[in-house]
Amino acid sequence: MADVKLAFIVQRPPYKSENPKLAITHAIAYQVVEILLEEGETVTPTLCFVGDGVLACIKDQKAMDNYGITSTETHLKNALLVDLNVLVCKEDLERFGISEERIIDAEEMGAEVKIQAVPFAEIQKTMESANHVLFF
Amino acid sequence: MKLAVFVSDYRNTVDTLERLDVEDLGIVFVQNGVNHAAVKENGEPSPLLQKKARLYALSEDLQTRGFTEADVDGRVKVIDMGELVDIIFNDYEKLAWL
Repeated sequence: MADVKLAFIVQRPPYKSENPKLAITHAIAYQVVEILLEEGETVTPTLCFVGDGVLACIKDQKAMDNYGITSTETHLKNALLVDLNVLVCKEDLERFGISEERIIDAEEMGAEVKIQAVPFAEIQKTMESANHVLFF
Repeated sequence: MKLAVFVSDYRNTVDTLERLDVEDLGIVFVQNGVNHAAVKENGEPSPLLQKKARLYALSEDLQTRGFTEADVDGRVKVIDMGELVDIIFNDYEKLAWL
């Protein structure tokens, strides 16, 4: 039995680069990876948004209307639909004046989990307990 | 010199803009640059909004990031692509992209 913990840390704002989307799609891909594992082996990803990366969590992104591309919001909703653990740094939300009501959720799509606003200390613990930490 | 500067990043552009000595400066916030117009950090607006310049932000880049006109600082004029083209052709001699 082995559980490999992965921490995906998004620190850049969305759209100028593909980094936040890459982090989300890589984190979602854990479900595909599991078919390649031995019996009893698991992969547990956690997606964390810190610094300017928290700007990726603002809801009502109109990327499809304006750019003709899937929004970072849609990617995040897909992550919530597969029950991914998604954390956003509470201090950084406060720094940018973003209330938790403005954070993306996927309730209307039937998601059972939500993005959790947590102190950076909790994100730090997630990084410490992860086998691999990946920055985006 | 009449100069319009496109600010397309949220970071790393403030220093360069500080050094520019321009008679008529326009700052156009596009792409991630629109965060300067819509985000207050620790309650403080971006220092770029203090510049003696006409300030613009592109509406589609704001909307894409989940911002509305109500989020934008009162000093910044929200413009669409058509208005941006008019500004480029009518108001400035030179353009820079930071």
